[in-house]
This record gives sequence, C-alpha cells and structure tokens, in this order.
Amino acid sequence: MNTYPLENIEHLTKHTFKIRIKRPDIEIISGQCFNIGLPGLQINREYSIYSAANSNYLDFLIRAVEGGRVSSALQKIKPGDLIEVDGAYGDFCLKDPMNMNHEYLFIATGTGIAPFHSFVETWPNINYKLLHGVRYVDECYHANTYKKGSYIPCISKPADGSKGTRVTDYLSKETLPSNVQIYICGNRNMIIDSFDILHNKGISGDNIITEVFF
Amino acid sequence: MKIAISYPPIINDHGQKAMVSQNRNVQFFKEPTYLLPVTYAQAATDLKQMGYEVYWDDGNAQLKSFDRWLKDLVSENPNVVVFESTTPVMNFYWQTVDKVKKALPKCIVIMTGYHSMRMPEETLQECAADIVLRSSNVDFGLHRLIPFIDDNKNWRTEYHGEGLFIRLDNGELRSTGDFRQVEPLDNVPLIDRDLVNWKDYAYENGNFLQTPGTYASSVIRDCMFGKCTFCRYNGPDLTFSMMSVERSLDEYERLINEHGVKEIFDDSGVWYRGKEARQFAQGIIDRGLHKKGCYFGINTRFEYLDEETIKLMGKANFRFILLGYEAADNVTLIKLNKGYQLQHVDSCLKWMTKYGMHPHLTIMVGYYWQTQKQLDNTVSEVKRLMFSGLARTLQVTLCTPLDYTPYHKECIKEGVLLTNNYDDFDMSKLIVKTPIPHDQYYKAVREMYSIAFHPKFIMRQLLFLLSFKKKDWQFLFTYSVRAIRRVRQHIFNLTRNENGTVKNRAAVEK
Repeated sequence: MNTYPLENIEHLTKHTFKIRIKRPDIEIISGQCFNIGLPGLQINREYSIYSAANSNYLDFLIRAVEGGRVSSALQKIKPGDLIEVDGAYGDFCLKDPMNMNHEYLFIATGTGIAPFHSFVETWPNINYKLLHGVRYVDECYHANTYKKGSYIPCISKPADGSKGTRVTDYLSKETLPSNVQIYICGNRNMIIDSFDILHNKGISGDNIITEVFF
Repeated sequence: MKIAISYPPIINDHGQKAMVSQNRNVQFFKEPTYLLPVTYAQAATDLKQMGYEVYWDDGNAQLKSFDRWLKDLVSENPNVVVFESTTPVMNFYWQTVDKVKKALPKCIVIMTGYHSMRMPEETLQECAADIVLRSSNVDFGLHRLIPFIDDNKNWRTEYHGEGLFIRLDNGELRSTGDFRQVEPLDNVPLIDRDLVNWKDYAYENGNFLQTPGTYASSVIRDCMFGKCTFCRYNGPDLTFSMMSVERSLDEYERLINEHGVKEIFDDSGVWYRGKEARQFAQGIIDRGLHKKGCYFGINTRFEYLDEETIKLMGKANFRFILLGYEAADNVTLIKLNKGYQLQHVDSCLKWMTKYGMHPHLTIMVGYYWQTQKQLDNTVSEVKRLMFSGLARTLQVTLCTPLDYTPYHKECIKEGVLLTNNYDDFDMSKLIVKTPIPHDQYYKAVREMYSIAFHPKFIMRQLLFLLSFKKKDWQFLFTYSVRAIRRVRQHIFNLTRNENGTVKNRAAVEK
C-alpha cells in the first residue's frame, strides 16, 4: 500500500492548501500527477505535482471543491496523518527542458498553476512567462518564487474594485513569437478560449499543449 | 453537398464480422454486437443541422454484404465519404478507399480514427484518401472543414483549421498542425436517432438486459483520467471535455419518453464522478425517470465513485457498470498506469452489488511481461470476485498493442512485437513475445470464461433471486442465455490460434 505520512500542510486561502509528503523513491517527471486518497475513503483524485521533480519531498496544491469528498477530507488532515499516493502519471511535461533556446508561455487558472510551479522549480533557468488567472489576489500562490517579471497575474476581482482582467484579455493583446511553446492548464472554458485566440494569432496547434483541471 | 459517414462491412474467412467504432477493440464475431458510433452519429446530426445531406452508411448494422454496400454507396454518389479505422483493419480500409476512389474519383475521402490520426502520412501513402483528420473530435473537425470545402475550390491549400493532413493536387502532403484537444461538448448536437437508424443498434447488443437499448451521447470525451498505457484515450494528443448534466438528462428523458428505450448506456471512457455523478443520478430521480423501467449503464474506474454516489445511482436505476480490472497484480497495474490499488476493489464492488448494480469486469491477459504467477493470480482473483457475487459478468481479451498507444509504442521499443502485419492485430491471437508460452494465456482465457458455467457461479446467481429484484430474474433467465452464446464466441475467437500461429509465420518471414 502506498501510504505516506503528511509532513506539512499550508493553508493558503479559505479553500486552497498545499500538502507535503516525503518523495517516493520512483521516477518522477515534472508536470506529472499522482492519485491521492485517504485510508478508508476508498476513492482517489488526481493532483499535479507542485514541487520540483528532483526535490526530497512532494508538494501538491489543492483546492477544496464544493462537494468534493477527497479534497474536503484532505483539507482537514494534520501532519502525521497517512495519505495514499499512487503514481506518477501523465505526459503534460516539457519536451526538451535542457534546451535553453526554447521560449515558453505557461497559462493557468487557479490551482492549474501547479505543473508550471514544478517546471520552474525543476528547471529554474528556462525562459518562460507565466499567465495566472485567479479571482482574488490571495490566490496568487507563492508569486515571489518566479523569476522577476515572469509571473503575470490576471485577477478578475481585484481588491480595489477596479476592472478585473482575465488571461484571455491578456492573450488577445499580446504579440507572440510563432515558435513559442505554449502550455495551458486549468478549467475547460479558459483552455477553449485561449486555444481560439492563439490559433487566430497564427500559433500552430503543434505548439499548444493542454491539460484540463476538473 | 452530400456527406456519407461510412462503415463498410468487414467479414473474415470464418464468416465473422468486425465492428469498428470509437475506442472499440475490433474483434470478429459471428453474431456481433452492433454498436452505435456515438461521436460519428453526433457529427452526422451536426452536418444535417447545418443543411447538408447526410447518408448514414453503416453496412454492418444494415446487414449488407461488402459488394452491396459498395454498390449502394456508389449509387448515392456522395461528395465526401468519412471512414473510421483502427489498426487491425487498416489494410482492409486502404483497399476500400482505393475502390471508392476508383468508382467515385471526384469524391473526397476523409480518413479518421485512432490509427490514422497517429500515423497520418502512412495512410495517405498507402491509399488514395484525400484527408486524414488527426482528432477524436470528428464532429468538431467536420463542422469546421465541410463548409470550407463547400465554399472554396482551393481548400487543399487554403484551409487552415487545425488537425488535418491534406493531400495537395501535386501529391505532396500538407499538415495544418495538431488539433485542439478540448472542445465545448455542449455545442455539438445530441444524436438525431432517426438519422442514424437507432433501432439497427437497439437489439443485438450483449450488454443490454432489456431492449430496445441505446447509447447516449457521451458525457465525457475522451477520458478524465487518460493515463492507462493500453488505451486509445491516452497521450499528449488527447485530453477531455465534459457535457453538462442537465443536457444529458434532457436526452435521457427524450430517449425514454419519445423512443421507449429500456436500457441506456453511456460509453464515455469514464463517466461522471463526484458532484456531477450525484447531480445526474438525482436528476434522474427528480424527473421520475427511475420509475420508467429503464436501466442505465456506464463505464467507470475503481476508486472513482464513493458509497453515497453509488447508493444514489442504485436508486436511480443504474444497472450495468463496466470497470477495467485488467489484472490482479500491482506490477501490471503500475506498468499500465491504471491508477487504482487492488485493496479498494472489493469495497467498490460491494457497494455496487449492495445497491443493486451489476458490475462487469474487463480483464486482459498476455502483457509482454506477464508471468505464470501473475496470470494465475488474476485467474484466481477473478474467480473469487465472480463466485462471491461481487462481479456479475466479465470480458477477457488478449492485450494487443493497437493504434500507437503508449503500450503499442512500448512494445515496439522493447522489440517484443512478433508481427508488423496490421491484420494480425485483431485480438484473436497474442502478437507479443511473452515469458511463458502463449497457450498458457489462452488457457487462462478459457478458464475465466468458463466461470459462467461453474455451479458455484450459477448458485450465486440463484441466491440473487431471493432479493426479488426484477433485474436479477432477468439476468438469470434472459441475459444468461445470451451470455452463454457470447462466451462461446469469445472462447472460439481467443483460443483458435493456439500453437503460436504468429510466431510460426514470423519465423518464416525471417
């Protein structure tokens, strides 16, 4: 049974939290996900890795969704409690991260930022820009960990009551080089809208990779 | 403009037919299950609603011979023919495309399906097809493409919609880039049942306990997990889209009230889970559809549905629940990226049987690493689950690398494939090198299918009758007769190649 004691839980907002366990001794590629459950719950859900793939621990950024059995239960656990972790899975990974000539655009909404946080923690020298769509400013999780000028929050409900922005607003105005490699992760509607904008800007589908969070 | 969505009849030397439709493993059967290709049915509906003439052309379900089918297609003289293909029938399809192009030179042939979408250049080199659609979202792809072809003579060079390989007039091939992976499923119309002759698929289906049955417009495309290495719904080129619960409920209501459907199966790779699953089941109850004598069925995964959700589904009259069990050893489950742990199998099945559902297990044997110990363990665990009544039916297949899934690519990389002839990929024989003789896997298949005739299994089914649920009586007296027929077919198919046919031929080819 793949159970691990929780090392740490960090509550970032009312709904979002980060959990940490010791890294399992397996091959992990940044961008992959694990199935996480709790003993006795008998169900699991997929969560992308938030930490660097080569660190000594595994972090997951999780939002407790309304009616979500696993995420709500995870929100209540305490250090030392056991969690079930199964993985790693998935292909939402950088194709050639050691090649520093690549230019990346990462687009996320909410906790969809997790794989991108893992990318930049694993390969701090990659050339990237990260668009992060959130509703409130407190959802700009660990914003200071990104390279200066690389993290662009798009806050739809700013605290000062000013007009909010969305990642799609930003994308519509931005001029993009045609060879930029674009990774999109988050909710379905954002991905659909972003793809249309990018395609209309002449970006080939070959350069757009997507992962839906649900 | 007339568009034909065509499934030519495929009949082998044994007089058996193969069915090709989305994410279905082609197997040849004498008395096949006729399955509605849901995405293609939605594409046909969409094109009709856009004002195009649509010729729904399923030669298999319409019980045609190949010659009859071809003659009818030629006399319809469509402007566009859309085919769906998969690895074991690629040779047949390439020949068929050439026959169609010879008879209808001006007709544009579009090849779709998981094999050609992953190997588009191969298909355009091997046959005279004009376009390969590199997307499982055939409906969305055609929605963008067909009007453009209709309006533009120079579509071959001027079409920029993503996801196509196009043959240019000079013979060169042109790619329009990867297709979009996520589409708004609520934008595609629900299936026009009359257009696709739904009754052709309503009776001959081994999974229906009551007829007429039908397939719902899938609520999920492709799969929300999408990591299992052997599955077509996997890879960086596929993600998933989801239909809204209310829209799906509307369709169920129409199917029951207007078409008198008695069993509805949603063949989404994995059906809703969590909040959406509960909303759907509650919606069925709120609309009173659970009292209309119609059963509902889905595909799901272990560790996806909790007891509360399953309880609600039982109340809503869900019956047939298909679960991918695959194997009873963790080494295999990890290698397959199955994403569940064996210790949770029993509780999931217990909840399902407790709330009146009939879990159906799918199992595979013949993984290129599978040892005798792993195989024996699977057989013994499957027997335990079936004899104890935790599972009601099963399907065993030979794990066959197909359609350039990760498992297929892994088999190529590991050098374990015994043949490169696509005709051999029809799941009737093992085509990978294995640590034990192939006959051991065939024997295991026979043993697992023979569970249906075992006194312990029959006794357990009789015990279910004590619950006085209509579906249990139907199961024993209606379904079991059909099941026995199907078990015989499966055993015939899966064991007729004992003594290593492929291995022998591979040796000769060397």
